Amino acid sequence: MSLLEIRGLSVRFGGLSAVSCFDFAVEAGSLVALIGPNGAGKTTAFNVITGVYAPSEGSVVFGGRAIGGKAPHVISALGIARTFQNIRLFRSLSALENVRASLEGARRSGLRDVLRLSSWRARQDAATLAARALLDELALGGFADARADSLPYGEQRRLEIARALATRPRLLLLDEPAAGMNPAEKLALRELIRRLRQDHGLTIVLIDHDVSFVMNLCDRVVVLDHGERIADGSPEAVRRDPAVIEAYLGSDAEFAS
Amino acid sequence: MENLLQQLLNGITWGSIYALVALGYTMVYGVLKLINFAHGEVYMVGAMAGYYAAHALGVAGTPSLGALLLVLVVSMAACGLLGALIERVAYRPLRGADRLAPLITAIGVSLLLQNAGQLVFGADPKFFPALLHSEELVRVGGIAVSNIQVVVLATALALMAGLQYVVQRTRFGRAMRAVSYDAPAAALMGVPVDRVILGTFVLGSMLAAAAGILVGLSNPKIDPLMGLMPGLKAFVAAVLGGIGSVPGAMVGGLLLGVIETLVTGYLSSTYRDAIAFVILVLILLVRPTGLFGAPQTEKV
Amino acid sequence: MRVRSLLAASGVVALLVLLEVVAPRVLNPYYVTILSRIGIAVIAAVSLQLVNGFTGQFSIGHAGFMAIGAYASAALSVFAGAALLDAVSQVVPLSLARIAYFPLVLGFGGLVAAVSGLVVAVPALRLRGDYLAIATLGAGEIIRIAILNIDVVGGARGFSLASPAHPAIDLRFESLAGVFGVAVVTIAVIARLVYAGGGLAFRAVREDETAAESIGIATTRVKVEAFLVASFFAGVAGALFAHSEGYIHTNSFGFVRSFELVAFVVLGGLGSLTGAILAAATLTALPEVLRGFGEWRMILYSLLLIATMILRPQGLLGQRELWPISRLGRGAK
Repeated sequence: MSLLEIRGLSVRFGGLSAVSCFDFAVEAGSLVALIGPNGAGKTTAFNVITGVYAPSEGSVVFGGRAIGGKAPHVISALGIARTFQNIRLFRSLSALENVRASLEGARRSGLRDVLRLSSWRARQDAATLAARALLDELALGGFADARADSLPYGEQRRLEIARALATRPRLLLLDEPAAGMNPAEKLALRELIRRLRQDHGLTIVLIDHDVSFVMNLCDRVVVLDHGERIADGSPEAVRRDPAVIEAYLGSDAEFAS
Repeated sequence: MENLLQQLLNGITWGSIYALVALGYTMVYGVLKLINFAHGEVYMVGAMAGYYAAHALGVAGTPSLGALLLVLVVSMAACGLLGALIERVAYRPLRGADRLAPLITAIGVSLLLQNAGQLVFGADPKFFPALLHSEELVRVGGIAVSNIQVVVLATALALMAGLQYVVQRTRFGRAMRAVSYDAPAAALMGVPVDRVILGTFVLGSMLAAAAGILVGLSNPKIDPLMGLMPGLKAFVAAVLGGIGSVPGAMVGGLLLGVIETLVTGYLSSTYRDAIAFVILVLILLVRPTGLFGAPQTEKV
Repeated sequence: MRVRSLLAASGVVALLVLLEVVAPRVLNPYYVTILSRIGIAVIAAVSLQLVNGFTGQFSIGHAGFMAIGAYASAALSVFAGAALLDAVSQVVPLSLARIAYFPLVLGFGGLVAAVSGLVVAVPALRLRGDYLAIATLGAGEIIRIAILNIDVVGGARGFSLASPAHPAIDLRFESLAGVFGVAVVTIAVIARLVYAGGGLAFRAVREDETAAESIGIATTRVKVEAFLVASFFAGVAGALFAHSEGYIHTNSFGFVRSFELVAFVVLGGLGSLTGAILAAATLTALPEVLRGFGEWRMILYSLLLIATMILRPQGLLGQRELWPISRLGRGAK
């Protein structure tokens, strides 16, 4: 059984069909890329998986449970985390607080926070430690107390990943994690993603425009165009697929080497 | 039955006043996405300006259609200026700020005008001069129609028609609609956004001034706080019709006027002011974008 | 660290004793009233800060909850006060009964206000931004007008707490230590709530609701919770107001009052408890103390607010806290 299984997914906004009859299965532990020209429906697919949109038709099953149409915070608790195409950090909070918000934000007990018995302090310290460890793992340790929006761009993207990891997900969705990065940063990011997958036992689906970035990283590539799947296979097979080449030709995607 | 028709007539008359004021709210929201809380006070200033103009121009004692017209023009000009001033001084510096700052500033301007009004005009109510001899024009099957009601309705409708013309058939109106749909794109297309916004404020304020004069005609007791409730109610009317929609404001105003009058007439008058807010809450719960508004989705 | 906390705590106790024992003897009763009003304003402002400053929701009808707390507690005192006091004095000697009585009345006012906060919050919080603001404005007005039409609590005549029902009690509550004690508790509770690790949820909702949802925060529940706590304390503030003034009228709880509270939190800095406290205290005291300020008070508020939004939108302190409050909130680092 696949970790994530999407069947016949269609998403419509008014008269516009963003995604049509999309079938998509992700095996546990794999690293899959979801690519396609602008407006292909990739982020929409992410939004449906994470509960931001409800499917107009079709089903989304995660770990054997149907999650189509559930609220985002419920889906997060089930083990799916994501980053966003346009960075959505908690800007006036520090990097440390951004990660801690993930660790503790969902599990609240206001009363315990007010009374602050002895166990409270221990829990708080443990949470801070865990958050710092995560920041260190993503080479953000030095920025712990800096405001999130004061971080350099690359660091902000990594912070979003750290925040997502703090929810201890089984499935991590990365939406254009390499956007705006130079080649050296992209290389480092590739290494980071590989390492995280291994160290945290993650299943990862990532969206990106940079086809070469994706080719060297992923086990499998799925291509969307105008909301429909036009290819699904190994990187080499997809790169040579005539339908894919045609979809990208005439748009501004990089499709080199 | 005749009571019902009488109530309806009253309701439509009041409704047209709400509509005039609601138009100002809706147009400003359309181009700026700002709730101009100070708009109710512009309506008040309109009434006050009319009062002072009538006395200054010496027409206070000589009722005639001409006197009314003169006072209307003067008041509308004065309030147009006030609206421009408010936009320039209080709102323009906040262009591009997050949503909270302009909202708070708008409330601040509203309260400033109310209290400054009390200081300048005196807190005691004044009596708007009778610019028209009040007389019962006609009695159709038991319903009394006074000439003042006819004038109010006719003026309001004429102004609304005029506005429709401006919005739909002039370059300015086209520019206004462009800015409402997409301000950055309009700017890129060469639309002078700042001037369009200024013009929108001026137009809306002129309509509010007219409303103030028309109210002065039918309910002569005016005071510096008279803008508070009608302002809020006109705002509810704009939301009811769909904030940002010009036809919506007109329909919303008329609808609110009728509902308010009917409920007050048939149920209870002590809850008169509450009706508008109940309608507000209901609309926000059931269909926040109003009767004519389009739903807005946030891009994730 | 411990020494500082101990010093601070003893400072607070000393202040309360001073207020209770010395102030009424030394100060003109007019100034005692002002101090009382300052305490109440601080409670109300801090409660609103939780919703507007920390959770980022535009609530501009907060005075409505003060009204409910005021009227509910006043009704309890007037209609059932004697019976309640008798019940309490079964358990506790009469001299202490009066002290035990007031927390009950205040708590009742707070609870009723909290329930009404829930009633308003659940539908209203489905809206965002401007629409939420308007909804809260509408709610505040509906509450005010509804109370105005309830004859049994005075309606348009207002409601007086003068009741000769029980010989041992004057239903009024004239303890400055009580008012400021409640204020300290309010500040402590809200600071602890917001600055705990879990309290990050409030600010996460403020910063970006979509992102907050994506990390498992049930944003609607967080917003409703903020509203509940805030309306509870607003109700307590209203109850204190009712019992210290001895007479209430819906005119004290209209949109102008709501706007004043908004002014406190914005001028102090949205997201700063210290700022809200300072703004509430200063702006409440100022016009009372300066003669002839009366009609200029609201003009001053408005001008100050407009100027602040244009020139210094983060207010006095932005999101920073000064020492006593941040210590109270954070506990161990």
